[in-house]
Amino acid sequence: MTASVRYGARIALALALVIPLLAASVARGLAQDEELVVTVVTDTAGLGDGNFNDLANEGLIRAETELGIRGEVLQSLDATQYQPNLLAGAENSDLTVGVGFLLQQDLDAVAAGLPDEKFLLIDAVAEAENVSSVLFREQEGAFLAGIVAARTTKTNKIGIVGGIRVPPVERYEVGFVAGVRTVNPGIEVVIAYAEDFEDPALGKELALAQFNQGADIVFPIAGRTGSGCYEAVVEKGEGFLVIGADRNQEDQAPGQQMAVVKKGVDAAVFTAAEQLVNDEFAGGVQDIGLKEGGVDLTNLGAMVTDEVAAEAALYKQAIIDGKFQVPATDADLATFTAPDVSSFATPVATPSS
Amino acid sequence: MDDFFSFDLLTATLRFSAPLIFAAMGGLLCERAGVMNIALEGFMLVGAFAAAAGTYYAETPFAGLVAGMAAAMLAATIHAFWCVTLRGDQIVAGTAINLLGVGIPAFLLQRIWGTPGGSPQVERLPGIGAGLNVLVPVALVLVPIVHYVVYQTRAGLRIQAAGEHPRAAASVGIDVVRYRYACVIASGALAGLGGAYLSIGDLSQYTNNMAAGRGFIAIAAVIFGNWTPFGTLGATLLFGAAQATRVQVQALGLNVAPDLIGALPYLLTLIVITGLVRRSDPPAGLGKHATAE
Repeated sequence: MTASVRYGARIALALALVIPLLAASVARGLAQDEELVVTVVTDTAGLGDGNFNDLANEGLIRAETELGIRGEVLQSLDATQYQPNLLAGAENSDLTVGVGFLLQQDLDAVAAGLPDEKFLLIDAVAEAENVSSVLFREQEGAFLAGIVAARTTKTNKIGIVGGIRVPPVERYEVGFVAGVRTVNPGIEVVIAYAEDFEDPALGKELALAQFNQGADIVFPIAGRTGSGCYEAVVEKGEGFLVIGADRNQEDQAPGQQMAVVKKGVDAAVFTAAEQLVNDEFAGGVQDIGLKEGGVDLTNLGAMVTDEVAAEAALYKQAIIDGKFQVPATDADLATFTAPDVSSFATPVATPSS
Repeated sequence: MDDFFSFDLLTATLRFSAPLIFAAMGGLLCERAGVMNIALEGFMLVGAFAAAAGTYYAETPFAGLVAGMAAAMLAATIHAFWCVTLRGDQIVAGTAINLLGVGIPAFLLQRIWGTPGGSPQVERLPGIGAGLNVLVPVALVLVPIVHYVVYQTRAGLRIQAAGEHPRAAASVGIDVVRYRYACVIASGALAGLGGAYLSIGDLSQYTNNMAAGRGFIAIAAVIFGNWTPFGTLGATLLFGAAQATRVQVQALGLNVAPDLIGALPYLLTLIVITGLVRRSDPPAGLGKHATAE
């Protein structure tokens, strides 16, 4: 091949690649006039994490069917893609959702540079005014899970398998430990971190090691790493239980999921889309917990007795009524004293002032 | 400390080491033939995905095993074509394969099952007790076989010649290209087995990026093992033991930094590479071609 032929071939190839892309983006630009577009940018765990990325997508799909918006999902294979994905989302859509604490810095930077665009950030607070930040009080749901787990364990040893100890994971962990202690300070909670949200084989080993040391319940807070914990529970068989974080994953361990600490990321995405459609979208920080329906303890398994469920309901009402604060950080946990359940067991007895 | 040095620690070590042994033996063969192979991670991911998909469709994990090996061999053929036939940059090719290994399964997951992130659950390979599956003994038997092939057979000596001095090997009539192709494709088959170990041996589904760096750790094991099969086996067992120890430390709630224990083997690898402990002795013809252009 002569140099010029090769050169021409390269140009042809480049054009062949670029033209369809251009056409697609023009087509997209035309379509954009008609419908509102919401883009969800995942963190590195991505869709299929069984946790909050999937929940964000569920909220997006619901918004598509009920509100008639168009949803797009941009997955981030590594942390360097957060910023380009957020930028692409902002340029091509009306609302860009950053899913997770790990996107906070990049979303802050992008939102500050594009003050006319709208953003929703899950699990972290952004500075810019055009960002609506939603924080969940995971500790409140996890506290209830801790109550139920402490009443359900037969070995008085419970394991936690975390991904990376980012603040939402810390809130889960601390709230759970506080719940367990409230019922029975004698129960040992063993805490292990994979330092990875994407390694199910490691998650399985961490859970197996806890089981081999006598634990009978594991609480994975670890994205896809956590799906390995479900496999460990299935492998160990009857008598070993798993607690779901964020979202129901019972299909991975049928009959062995004790409960789910549900986190309303789907509702947050849907609500933001709804506000966008109604032209009511506003920046600011929302902090939602049991009271606002942002978190809850759901999907109680058959192994949870009615008595235990009733006890959890009692604590839930007490948290909603503000009778006590569930610790959210290590510092809170250090000074936490277990609330006295009898003080709020009979609400009629306390006269209102 | 009775709890600590338990049978569980041993079996966990074997479970962590087995996928590394497969991938590292593949990497060793490939590099002994003179082709650099940083694509092990990609081979593992492709193998893990195809193993889960094969099991899903054929409804038996043994078919999945074959599918996993075959898919990784295909990826390895691309690597060989680029590195050997086209004489392209071997690091660039390996990087490309690793990116494909992440991207193609993610794309196919969406197309086949509409479930981004992970495949449906599939049947696992049979266990042999103690939480080990049938691939663990296979991995251990593989090491003396590779040793025998490399050091005791005519083909093995020719592989070494191709890796040490490809032009000299070619000048005495050894078909360097053919041996290199064979070794690269064999490395695909073995790394594919390592991937299948994860998706249908240890776990029962493929999830995105599930190799989680094990392919790169296998490369480190080859270097640490100084490109010898038994040395490499020792390195993979050391890495596996470090992981198992880290897990055990966390399960016992001991007040030792688990990350430090987990990082120790890689620190050792770095020290070995710098030549402080002993001379690192890679095949002299690594990355060189048999003929001048």
